[in-house]
Amino acid sequence: MLGWHLARREQPLRGGQTRAVATGMLLALVAGAFLLVLSGENPLDVYTTMADAAFGSSRGWSTTLGRAVPLGLAGLAVAVAGSMGLWNIGAEGQIIAGAIFGAWVARLLPDANGFVLITVMLIGSVLGGGLLALIPAITRARLGVNEIITTLMLNEIIIRVVRYLVNGPWKDPNSAGFPQAPPLPAQAALPTLFGRANIGVLIAAGVLAGFGFYASRSKWGYELRLAGSSEKTAEYAGISLRRKILTVLTLSGAIAGLAGGIELTGSSSRLVEGVANGWGFAGIIVAALALMRPSGVAAVAIAFGAVQVGGLAIQVSGVPASIANILQALILFGALIAGVFGQYRPVRTRTTSSVTAAAA
Amino acid sequence: MTRTLRTLTALIATLGLLAAACGGSDDAGGSDTKAAFVMVAPVGDAGWNFMHNEGRLAAEAATGVETAFVEAIPEGGAEFDTAVQQFIDDGYTVIFSTSFGYMDATEKFANENPDVVFEHISGFKMNDTNFGNTFGRMYQPRYIAGMAAGAATETNKIGYVAAFPIPEVIRGINAFTLGAQRVNPDVEVEVAWTATWFDPTVEGNTAQALLDAGADVLTMHQDSTATGQAATDAGATFIGYHSDMSSQVDAYLTAPVWDWGDRYADVINAAANGEYTPESWWGGMADGVVDIEIPTSSPVASEMQAVKDQIIAGEFDVFEGEILTQSGDVMVADGEKMDDGSMLGMSDFVAGVIGSTDG
Repeated sequence: MLGWHLARREQPLRGGQTRAVATGMLLALVAGAFLLVLSGENPLDVYTTMADAAFGSSRGWSTTLGRAVPLGLAGLAVAVAGSMGLWNIGAEGQIIAGAIFGAWVARLLPDANGFVLITVMLIGSVLGGGLLALIPAITRARLGVNEIITTLMLNEIIIRVVRYLVNGPWKDPNSAGFPQAPPLPAQAALPTLFGRANIGVLIAAGVLAGFGFYASRSKWGYELRLAGSSEKTAEYAGISLRRKILTVLTLSGAIAGLAGGIELTGSSSRLVEGVANGWGFAGIIVAALALMRPSGVAAVAIAFGAVQVGGLAIQVSGVPASIANILQALILFGALIAGVFGQYRPVRTRTTSSVTAAAA
Repeated sequence: MTRTLRTLTALIATLGLLAAACGGSDDAGGSDTKAAFVMVAPVGDAGWNFMHNEGRLAAEAATGVETAFVEAIPEGGAEFDTAVQQFIDDGYTVIFSTSFGYMDATEKFANENPDVVFEHISGFKMNDTNFGNTFGRMYQPRYIAGMAAGAATETNKIGYVAAFPIPEVIRGINAFTLGAQRVNPDVEVEVAWTATWFDPTVEGNTAQALLDAGADVLTMHQDSTATGQAATDAGATFIGYHSDMSSQVDAYLTAPVWDWGDRYADVINAAANGEYTPESWWGGMADGVVDIEIPTSSPVASEMQAVKDQIIAGEFDVFEGEILTQSGDVMVADGEKMDDGSMLGMSDFVAGVIGSTDG
């Protein structure tokens, strides 16, 4: 039998993960170029447009970074849980919970000054996301209920909660019956940093840098990774798994909740059903590309944001949406696959001929 | 490894040159007016966004102005900002945002970009200089479609698959019901909500539930033809929406349809001539923005045609009293006509509708 299998690289690839992922994206661009030529586009023009829109100007940078904020925070949420082997599939719902709590604060304190209001709103959104994640955290830590299922199902519940709110008690009487909450107070808008980016960029950068540093340097982070790689070893080392699961999943939800608060105060101006906009699910891809390492999330989020901004820009310039979407998917797929090869190497499965033949 | 990189770059460059050699140049000369459209879902081949794209193409043909569009841009997200900013940077001078949820963001852009004309579809906000809104009195052809349905049903039950309980949808259901009752006083219209604009599976299942409840005529306020498929499979009659679906659905009888081309051309021309004045434009069948084809096979075809003529001539109003609500209260008093404000905020069903406006 001839075949291949993947074996973990004993020595990390020269240039490491970054190089592997970059190569994967490059190969995807080549594959995408064929696709573009087939559909009558000039790949060079298209790629130039993409790069230009994402990084070619200060406005491009501001858009890309603005995108990277929810992607990065959602990615960090998933990665924090992922670094101890837990899967938080509920970041989408936790973002919504964060936005709901943020909007709730704004309803309670409509006259507070901007700084106070935004601060309390963001604290509220952190609590909201954390509280929603507390449910799967408790059931996982105490009862051993699979957190993949519970976090996923809670998305469905919270989307119905926000739908109820904007159709019912929080419905804006001045929106001609359309289901959306009233606009937030004007002072609740996050101040602009530059171009189209708001200071959410700084908040997210602070959170990401803090976690990246803390997770890689602290005893806490070490215990997390240890628990992720071997529960038995962790328990032997005296780490309380239950408490770790509880804190890590709740923290994961709180980070996603913060993303919801920043989206609410930063870009959406009022609570609507679609406030999470798929960021929570995109966060799973971001975390996977970052190999569940909090320190890698920021770079991945910026790259992911750039691909999205570029994909939109080529649509604006006339490339059909379907081609633009395939191109974005190709690039992410290339990066993901290459990420795997950065960790593992393909090994020719030796014909076990001598053994099997002898047995036969 | 650098060699690999170089090879790859060379490959891409070659491909690029190839494409450049094959493709011609498509420079647009002349007017510096360019119009861009932002759509909430893929254009596809039926539904709301399809008809906006048809309108775009018609306006392009009528005005000679270059147009472009982006599709599948979510409401209330950063994608909208990115796309519109890109259009502005690329020199587009008229922007049509064609979904309700774009309203706040469109307003913001309009105030930041006084030299660009923004026309928002289906909303109610505007400013004094460069931001107006456009919509159509779809309730007029809905009423006529209701007549066809009322005449076609034998079970006296019509199923209505509907997305969200917002005034636009409620207004359509009410007009449709009033039309059906005009030709068939015993008819009931049962409404089932899907809580989605576009989800063929959900729409199909909802349609099936209405068929199971005894409906033999179906219509919908959705973006796919799934309701029509369910009607076809069950041998029921289907009244569409948005576009002529006769080639896609066997059970198709007729449909109230959109035709945005003339309105788009007017806005583009006004902007090109520097004569654009924002307004809340709510056109009807007389303006051509909404229409319905009279099915000759319907036993009430001539009455439908007569009503259509009356509406176009301004001699008939759909919401003219006396009209009662589901709970028996007076919605419009005898001899009175409902004003635009009340129609735009309509939130109760008329008598004869089965279902709740709570969604």
